[in-house]
Amino acid sequence: MSIAALRALIAEKFPSAIPAAQRTVLPVATGIPVLDRALPNGGFPLGKLTACEPLGGATAILRAACAATIDAGDRAAWIDGALTTAGAFWTEGPLLVRPRGDRQAVAAADLLLRCGGFRLVVLAGVALADADTVRLVRAAHEGGGAFVALTAQANMAALRLEVRIDAEAWQWREDPFGGMAAARDVQLHADIRSLGWNRRVRFALPVASHELRLALDPGLVDRRGKPGASKSGNQRSRRRVNPV
Amino acid sequence: MTILCLSHPDWRPGAPPRPELAAALLARAPRIAISGPSGGASGGAPGGAPAHPVIWADVRGFSLHGQAELAADLIALLAHRGVPGVRAGLARVPVAAELAARFGDRAVTLVPTGNDRAYVALFPLEALGPDPRLRPLLFGIGVSTCGELAALTQESVEVRLGAPALPLWRLARADDPRLLFAPPPAELPHASLDWVEYALKDPARLLFVINTLLERVTATLAARGEGAREVTVEFALTNRQSHVEVVRASRPTVNRRTWFRLIRTRVDAMKLHAAVTGITLHASRVAAREAPQADLFDRGLASVQATEDAVARLVEDQGPVVVAPQNSAHPLLDERTTWVAQEPAKVVAPRYAGALMTDTPRHTVRFTTLPAVVRETATVTPAPSTPPAPRFTPHLSLQLSPTPCAISVETVPRRDHAAPVRYRDEDGWHEIVQAAGPERISGRHWEGDTAYAREYFRCITRDGRLVWLYRDAAPRAKTAAAVANRQWYLHGWWD
Repeated sequence: MSIAALRALIAEKFPSAIPAAQRTVLPVATGIPVLDRALPNGGFPLGKLTACEPLGGATAILRAACAATIDAGDRAAWIDGALTTAGAFWTEGPLLVRPRGDRQAVAAADLLLRCGGFRLVVLAGVALADADTVRLVRAAHEGGGAFVALTAQANMAALRLEVRIDAEAWQWREDPFGGMAAARDVQLHADIRSLGWNRRVRFALPVASHELRLALDPGLVDRRGKPGASKSGNQRSRRRVNPV
Repeated sequence: MTILCLSHPDWRPGAPPRPELAAALLARAPRIAISGPSGGASGGAPGGAPAHPVIWADVRGFSLHGQAELAADLIALLAHRGVPGVRAGLARVPVAAELAARFGDRAVTLVPTGNDRAYVALFPLEALGPDPRLRPLLFGIGVSTCGELAALTQESVEVRLGAPALPLWRLARADDPRLLFAPPPAELPHASLDWVEYALKDPARLLFVINTLLERVTATLAARGEGAREVTVEFALTNRQSHVEVVRASRPTVNRRTWFRLIRTRVDAMKLHAAVTGITLHASRVAAREAPQADLFDRGLASVQATEDAVARLVEDQGPVVVAPQNSAHPLLDERTTWVAQEPAKVVAPRYAGALMTDTPRHTVRFTTLPAVVRETATVTPAPSTPPAPRFTPHLSLQLSPTPCAISVETVPRRDHAAPVRYRDEDGWHEIVQAAGPERISGRHWEGDTAYAREYFRCITRDGRLVWLYRDAAPRAKTAAAVANRQWYLHGWWD
């Protein structure tokens, strides 16, 4: 039997064992065209574990993947194991789970993956032990959804994604004095590795800026600097003392 | 017979029966109503004249003998209360019962089931209290009894007497639409098992019994299309006391496994003072099961139930961990968000499946009953080749540390402030290559210890991370040394 025939036989008998790059089922796209073209078959594989090392920018990519999944008419879940999600920057759509600990986060991921109702489940902020990895990979295989773990250690990952930020490539908006005011965008390097697949891609993402409110208390309007505003305390007291 | 009517010659529109009589009658009859003098749907005059006050009793569920016995009891009770001479009428239709009570020649008059119309037909129309304006018309066509009016057709009544005569015509036909008593609420599903030859205290054996009872209760609920939101388990103890456990679910469900898991958790933590000789289990709060309506072309529709079950189980196991942010306008980001627990049924509803949320146009197929000519000429517009634009733009956003992490920072003086050049956290030292700031924020100066003042810096580390540091500049430090040693914190990072 030739190698090609053997491969065809394996693909026929064990369809889930073929490499991600050779699959025919559409994976979960990230919504970032440059990255999708570099990923095997165009996205995160279904029924498999994808390990995404949290070196910078991974959260943005996975948030985009969640949004793309929702846009496509499917469900996505985000398990915030480290409780680092800022409510002010959360976009409605994915199911957000904030478990009380690592064990609860793994249990939540297991439950959501196994039910088969989520096309993408992201587990962030949890260091997976080997036993947990096996459990979650089985759950993903059973449920058929894509499972992405934001972790550096994932021995059974079908796809590994390493995203780094280029320290020299931050673009800033300048303030009136020429100083740095707020980051505008940044260049990311992504290394994608899978069975028979090795790609490197570089792309830019904008940076969401957060403007601090300057009012002293919520609900109070900041009127400092407004022309024709109320008089200062000294002027008011002077007027009270000398009403004439 | 389903209606019992009590009437007394002294009860007139101006002198209705005393309300306290109803309270006394309730000791014998399950439900009592007094028709008001102003009339109305539940007790007004049948023909439109002022109501003749009567007392109604609901006798549904009583045997024929029991109904007569109840009528006699009520008459005796009223006589004991100083109202002698009350007469009772028992019939299936209120108007027949009322006529029997008012004009019957015995203390209790029974109108046999199915004979209501024939019984009403015997009475003159005046018994129904017709509208005075109809009297000359009725006299004109020679109708004086209920039977004669009932013999007419509806069309002839409308033509000869006008539309206002139709209610009177219906009553003459013993067609009384008054709903005196609402239907009794259906009994909630329950199941029980008692044993006398032995007593149980082993939770495993108790759960075995509960599982069997639960199967019956959930099957009954499923047949009714309802789900239980609360189940009460009552344990009969050997010391003649009972122990009650109330178990609630986050949503109405008939899933036996879900209820068994909840009850098992409760039973495992339960402490009984005596052995158990019986268990009663009933669904104490019941609601209609939610069946979300959705788009047939929605990919998430088929998995709604499985997903909802999974999320409900997650909430039951771990508490309110499925949340959504509710943001205020607080200046501090860490105090701006309140996490609000979400209902499982809502978070997996099809609108969350995205198809209904998107603003992009969707291509749908509409099946209609168009004429053949139109169908033949109809053309299908091809879908645009360009994909719709995504509604979410990928971007790096701020991630917040659950609590600001205290860090050691080396600074250099820059204009009116100290700018960070290095910081050390639990992973070691991180060199800062660029630092933007400070952004100064302060508040609550009039609230003492809760006052805050922070100087925020956005810093890029050597490995390319954009971190958010702040220096605590709250006015609590009084001395110059304390001011110089104000603590630095790592509050977040962009990812």
